[in-house]
Amino acid sequence: MNAIELKDISVIYGENTPFRKAALNNINVEFPKGMTTGIIGHTGSGKSTLASLLNGLLTPTSGKVLLGGRDIWEKPKEMVKIRSRVGLVFQYPEYQLFDETVEADIAFGPKNIKLSDAEIKERVALAARFCGLSERELKRSPFELSGGQKRRAAIAGVLAMRPEVLVLDEPAAGLDPRGREEILGGLQEYKNTYGATLIIISHSMEDIAKYADRILVMKNGEVYMQGTTEEIFMQAEKLFDADLDLPQITKLFIELKKRGICESSDVYTVKYAKNMLEKILGINNA
Amino acid sequence: MLKDVTFGQYYPGNSLLHRTDPRIKMIMMIEYLVIILMANSVPAVLLGMGLTLFLMVCSGVRFSVLIKSVKPLIFVLIFTAVINLFFTAGGGDPLVQLGFIKIYKQGIRNAVMMLIRLLSLVLGTSVLISFTTSPLELTDSIESLLSPLKKIGVPVHEFAMMMSIALRFIPTLIEETNKIISAQKSRCADFESGNIISRVKALIPILIPLFVSAVRRAEELADAMECRCYHGGEGRTKLKVMKASASDYVFLFCVTAVIVGIVFLNKIYFLI
Amino acid sequence: MSFIQARDLSFSYSPAEPNVINKLNLTIEKGSFVAVLGHNGCGKSTLAKLLCGILLPASGKVLVDGLDTAHEEKSFEIRKKCGMIFQNPDNQLVASVVEEDIAFAPENLGLPREEIRKRVDSALETVGMTEYARHATYKLSGGQKQRIAIAGVLAMSPECIIFDEATSMLDPNGRKEITAAMKRLNKEMGITVVTITHYMNEAVEADRIVVMNQGEIVADGTPEEIFTQVEKLHSVALDVPQVTELLYLLEKDGADTPRGVLHAMDAAEVITKLYKNTRSD
Repeated sequence: MNAIELKDISVIYGENTPFRKAALNNINVEFPKGMTTGIIGHTGSGKSTLASLLNGLLTPTSGKVLLGGRDIWEKPKEMVKIRSRVGLVFQYPEYQLFDETVEADIAFGPKNIKLSDAEIKERVALAARFCGLSERELKRSPFELSGGQKRRAAIAGVLAMRPEVLVLDEPAAGLDPRGREEILGGLQEYKNTYGATLIIISHSMEDIAKYADRILVMKNGEVYMQGTTEEIFMQAEKLFDADLDLPQITKLFIELKKRGICESSDVYTVKYAKNMLEKILGINNA
Repeated sequence: MLKDVTFGQYYPGNSLLHRTDPRIKMIMMIEYLVIILMANSVPAVLLGMGLTLFLMVCSGVRFSVLIKSVKPLIFVLIFTAVINLFFTAGGGDPLVQLGFIKIYKQGIRNAVMMLIRLLSLVLGTSVLISFTTSPLELTDSIESLLSPLKKIGVPVHEFAMMMSIALRFIPTLIEETNKIISAQKSRCADFESGNIISRVKALIPILIPLFVSAVRRAEELADAMECRCYHGGEGRTKLKVMKASASDYVFLFCVTAVIVGIVFLNKIYFLI
Repeated sequence: MSFIQARDLSFSYSPAEPNVINKLNLTIEKGSFVAVLGHNGCGKSTLAKLLCGILLPASGKVLVDGLDTAHEEKSFEIRKKCGMIFQNPDNQLVASVVEEDIAFAPENLGLPREEIRKRVDSALETVGMTEYARHATYKLSGGQKQRIAIAGVLAMSPECIIFDEATSMLDPNGRKEITAAMKRLNKEMGITVVTITHYMNEAVEADRIVVMNQGEIVADGTPEEIFTQVEKLHSVALDVPQVTELLYLLEKDGADTPRGVLHAMDAAEVITKLYKNTRSD
């Protein structure tokens, strides 16, 4: 079943003017429930436009956005409800923090959807836990936190609405390996706890390989490829054609396959690579 | 909504107006402003319109772009025209009378004149200054025109530098504002309903991040400027030394001639 | 010959807080390409600001080409010799038009107009942006903005450029553009390049890597030497390239793999050799 899907969507800026530009050109995309979909593609390929369609920030020129099978534009007045169900985290979300304490800031979303005080408190605490924020950090001003903590506080602010679909634009951009791990790991945990659907836009093939079940590749406002992580990374040539990269480990295995050392090149994580090579090379790791 | 603001947007080019000394353009703009506001007779307004069209052509900016720049102001234009149309009394019997609404010949005249005046004002200043003068040229010319004030201790260079930086950051901050609005909307913020007080309160989640980010940008920019050896106006040279050429003066002379013509026509036909 | 020297350098943002930089010693040779690697908050950006004199040491010294950054009257000289590129491309462009921005530094230096023109043109050419000279800066992509920032610093004719996480806000293409520019500045123009980063693939391009943790230098050497120390890098919250990690894991399980292999192609060679050995046994 699809948590959310795009049907025949086009987004055209400046229709009927000389500046006409199609940001998205008649695309059809499905995001299966409970799965993590990674979106890759170059700057300007339409990834961010796609993200702002999903929670109704942007109105499509034509086509439909179906959330649980229902058009999100059916009742435009109830868009707030849609936005609480489809959480959207922008790039560098730490720039949206504003309240006196981290706790109050995280509570902003739940307050807007008019939850009870008790409910808000509980949700804030849970969201903070997923994002690895301590009790002490909750009481501090968001402007006193470190860069990584700010990022996590901002993401917690969206998680606290407990969205069933969570869309994140480059959630780990600019963070070091540990910071990336903390954020992406926390999101994975959230997804598993609530059976939520994750949609992650990222430039990092390594992160996508590690976390995504499915991949959507965008190019010039169109869907270039769509499928499971294996299906996509198996077509290395096609990705190279779009000037996209592969995880380094996959590149190694493509070369090894060429040399006849191994049969398949669908290897995306170091752990899997290690097990496979140890079998081939007959190394025992008792 | 904020996307439509074209103020301060420079359209690079190499037209006659682009090449004109920005100081000459400043002087022409002041003349132009005075005259458009003064023009009060039909021939004078027509001549003013002609001048505006001439300047538009000289700017080399595409008409569609110019029209786009007027678009956000359409409401103001129509509103002003309607006010003039309905609230000008006198000049004989009303032409149309619908209940308490009376439209006089004078009203139609004023409405049309006001419309043309405002349009000329917006189009003329945008082709003279904002579209054809880079913010740096603009501030350089202000610095140059005001430089006599330096002698009495007015910090002219600092003022010009502040202005040019402000202009440089307008598009950046507009983009940032849009981003913050989208982010807070995604957290279910509501900016559109409620009474005045709750609407003003709803702006806090936008204004605070915007302010914080502006301060951060300012700090970083200050570091970057210092790293590039900025140390105030003393001993600074310029890539572009403004030098009015003969053709600049000819241009200025022509525009001034038209303007004198408008004053003249104003006087003669004032009674029409 | 050394260009920048930090001696027993310590710094803290307020006396109540622990030192961000702690008794650090570092010498950067003239004409070298050095990457300073460390996780977020390890003090690497603070170090960058100390090296070019934006911040002044609490104790210890920084010498840039023999000039002490603590001597205020020398600061102009130091800035001329040592430029800096910052993280956010938007916050370091002063002017709205590309060539006007690049002219900013030479204008501050009080150079004659012809010289400014020459420097602007040659800086634009170096970063491959000549055709953008009259473009508006805010319409450029992140990578292009950073190239303009580089040109703006180049126009001062500096001997050294410090890149303070200059690629962290860019997309992969932008990152490639800037890394390529750094290499060119160093190899072709002989400019000393110091890049502060937490991206491995970028650090690999340098001739020397300095690893920082909690305000101190914990490792210093060539990329090959640094990336052999996989455990040490993990312990300071850093990664190694995937193939380096893979060969390290194989070695731990008893395979005879060399350390410090950084590229996929080199790793393929290593594994092919191992494979042939197992066949011939």
